[in-house]
Amino acid sequence: MTAVIEARQLTKSYGATRALDGVTFNVAPGRIVGLIGPNGAGKTTTLKALLGLTPFDGELRVLGLDPRRERDALMREVCFMADVAVLPRWLRVSQALEFCAGVHPRFDRAVASDFLRKTDIRLSSRVRELSKGMVTQLHLALIMAIDARLLVLDEPTIGLDLLYRRKFYDTLVNDYFDKQRTILLTTHQVEEVENLFTDVIFINHGKVALDASVEDLGQRYQQLTLSAEAAARARALQPFYERELFGRVAMFFEGRSSAELKPYGELRTPTIADLFVAKMQGSPGT
Amino acid sequence: MNSIADAIEPGAAVPRAMPSGTALVTLLRREFWEHRYLLWVPPAFVALLLLLAMFAHVEIDDMPVRVQAALTTLTQYLLTAVLFLIVVAVLAYYTLDCLHAERKDRSILFWKSLPVSDGLTVAAKFLVALVVVPLGAVVLALLGHLLFTAILTVRAAFGGLPVAPVWDTLEWLRNVALMLVLLLLAMLWYAPVIAAALLLSGWARKPFLWATLPPLIVLIVEPIFFRTQYFWHFLQYRSQGIWEVLARGIRMPKEDAVPHSIASALFANLNWRAALGDIDLWLGVLLALALLYAATRLRRYHDET
Repeated sequence: MTAVIEARQLTKSYGATRALDGVTFNVAPGRIVGLIGPNGAGKTTTLKALLGLTPFDGELRVLGLDPRRERDALMREVCFMADVAVLPRWLRVSQALEFCAGVHPRFDRAVASDFLRKTDIRLSSRVRELSKGMVTQLHLALIMAIDARLLVLDEPTIGLDLLYRRKFYDTLVNDYFDKQRTILLTTHQVEEVENLFTDVIFINHGKVALDASVEDLGQRYQQLTLSAEAAARARALQPFYERELFGRVAMFFEGRSSAELKPYGELRTPTIADLFVAKMQGSPGT
Repeated sequence: MNSIADAIEPGAAVPRAMPSGTALVTLLRREFWEHRYLLWVPPAFVALLLLLAMFAHVEIDDMPVRVQAALTTLTQYLLTAVLFLIVVAVLAYYTLDCLHAERKDRSILFWKSLPVSDGLTVAAKFLVALVVVPLGAVVLALLGHLLFTAILTVRAAFGGLPVAPVWDTLEWLRNVALMLVLLLLAMLWYAPVIAAALLLSGWARKPFLWATLPPLIVLIVEPIFFRTQYFWHFLQYRSQGIWEVLARGIRMPKEDAVPHSIASALFANLNWRAALGDIDLWLGVLLALALLYAATRLRRYHDET
């Protein structure tokens, strides 16, 4: 078994703040992994470490390569997309294709052109003339045309409207993703993409707070919705987080069986977004 | 969870890099896409000079032919010199801006998402400033000479000028050779200046301010507090030192003793050996390499976002 990413004890400080404090995780091939955390939790720093954009301490292999020493070789196999603002505004669409074709051994210009033909983007346009949604489409076209094994997306749809966001992820899953590829994604809009993930990694205060496949989550975590009276009794089972909503109480449990919980109320697997909130609010030290 | 892991063996089949020649050419082209003034400012300036040539009043009819020929050469020198002053200004702006611009608009994250090393990127920017633009300016100067002479000849043919300029192809070719050799010397001498500007561009948030204000302060403060002018002398030396070495002992010819070929005279009398053997010239080249290395490291790990 070989992992696409193996991270051991990644540590990095910006002055007094510890951006990464012993981050450890693995990513297997063919997965779509959500890296989820509050602002300043260390998500972007983790991605930067993976991409060799920042120095850090710890052990890290990405596709078997060390991002610190073998960055150039690594970038032939890894695609990376930060938010939409990073395509230079002066760049023409045709120049973007030309440039990628000139520097990337795995860029297939025909694929990018085909993709662009289905959009309203003209080859002669400059990035500054395109809407945010179109810039993302352009960037996506470039990425689709690169035969990479790992795609890293850092808040790729920030500032886009719902239609573009939906289209972006649909294209990603239907046309790009296959079992040979791995996608690592950070986003604030967890609700919208949680059906996408095969795995999630929660990160908080520079530490991994949770690392599990989505199947495992269903086994490990339960959300119980119940009345206030029932809640008083259910507290004996030690929920790690609870919140009140319209007079009903939602409780979150880890490692309890359905048989134990069912008598108290309505039981279900929490959504990733709810679980995230529960974990962040409920975990000690936050 | 890892059912298909066998299909992939990380690191086993890393695709080969793009031939670095192709990548370098692409990187060079990118610089001209981004900094379009590199392409149009120098030609626009030459066009302006040619426009002047169309209407300027010239009075050379009462001079001996040899002086007229020398004047043609000197006019060419003048055109070349002024063109290169413009190029220096353009390149000063370019070198201070190019590594700063990609950080400012955050496009550096896009460039870095592609398999191009920081070394090659910095090298491309350095080559644009050191080689591509200056060589382009040489070609432009040659075109300028030809057009300049053509315009004056046509004006003479239509009676606008009393005599046509004297054109000497051999002398012109000698001047081309002279220009290229001088350019080579200039590249070596100014390489550390270009590399320093690139480093500043990659490091500072306000490179133009850093390039002007601190030197200005030192220029003012040093004589006041230390009663010395080392910095001023240093600046003077790096701007003209090599030319002083090259031209040491050379005298301006009197008007009645204009040499038959100015270019040949210069080739014969300039101190080429002393200039090319100048220790500061080669120390400067070494310094340029060190500065470029620093700029590369900085681009690799400068983490601002």
